[in-house]
Amino acid sequence: MAETIPIQLKKGVLELCVLALLSRGDGYAYDIASRLAKGIEMGEGTIYPLMRRLQDEGLVATYLVESPSGPPRKYYRLTDTGRQSLINQKADWTSFSRAVNAILGEAE
Amino acid sequence: MSRSAFLAALRANLRGIAPKTADEIVADYASHFDEGLAEGRSEQDIAAGLGDPARLARELRAEAGLKRWDQERSVSAAAAAVLAILSLGAIDVLILFPVLLVVLSLMFAAACVAAAFVVAGIVIVLVSPFHGIVSGGFLLGLIGGIGFFSGGLSLGALVSLCGIGLTNLMIRFGRFHVRLIKPVAA
Repeated sequence: MAETIPIQLKKGVLELCVLALLSRGDGYAYDIASRLAKGIEMGEGTIYPLMRRLQDEGLVATYLVESPSGPPRKYYRLTDTGRQSLINQKADWTSFSRAVNAILGEAE
Repeated sequence: MSRSAFLAALRANLRGIAPKTADEIVADYASHFDEGLAEGRSEQDIAAGLGDPARLARELRAEAGLKRWDQERSVSAAAAAVLAILSLGAIDVLILFPVLLVVLSLMFAAACVAAAFVVAGIVIVLVSPFHGIVSGGFLLGLIGGIGFFSGGLSLGALVSLCGIGLTNLMIRFGRFHVRLIKPVAA
């Protein structure tokens, strides 16, 4: 049970993290997945359903780039809607985490 | 799990998704393996990092089902979306089933009443002016028939609205659980 709480937290902020990574530059799924796997220890497989949903909701768009080795890579970039969503979600996260930290601080 | 075993398990669990979408999904995971292999990882290591393909497929199928419901308001789309959510275990079927059964029976009964009203209305309008079934004559029969008919239609419309509302409610509830409470194991 103790395991599931951090997983829920991670799942909740996964979308925010992906949008933030893409705001710094376009990326392909393997790269995003391995960076998130290292950074917040997410299962790499979870990134694909998420990317598909973000694409359906118009937050990201894809384009193909020829790769020197093997088939072309699918790159993701933020759309204007995605950029706006990142700004909103970031503000939500900041105020939420500040409120939680304030409560945790009081408890000590 | 090897690359081919993972992709086969994924493909097998994507039944019901449009073939083109399923191909895209499998291609995404196939290229994930290719990238990983190019980095020198083993197939087993990459598969372990990805997680359970059946579980991933269920999540992808639920997402596809919800998208279809957003686009088309049909009974089959509603059923597909609700089934997909249930298959994720996001809603406790045992708790939900009796409630759902009662609500669906009520809706079915209301739909039958609505249909009966519509039919009765038509019959009264067509028959009463000539045979005097309804005492009070021609006009009363006509007005009464039209009343039954439109009453039935209104009830029918109400039942459809309830159906749409119920499906939306279940989906919103299920989605919330899928996103936050029932994650794919990290």
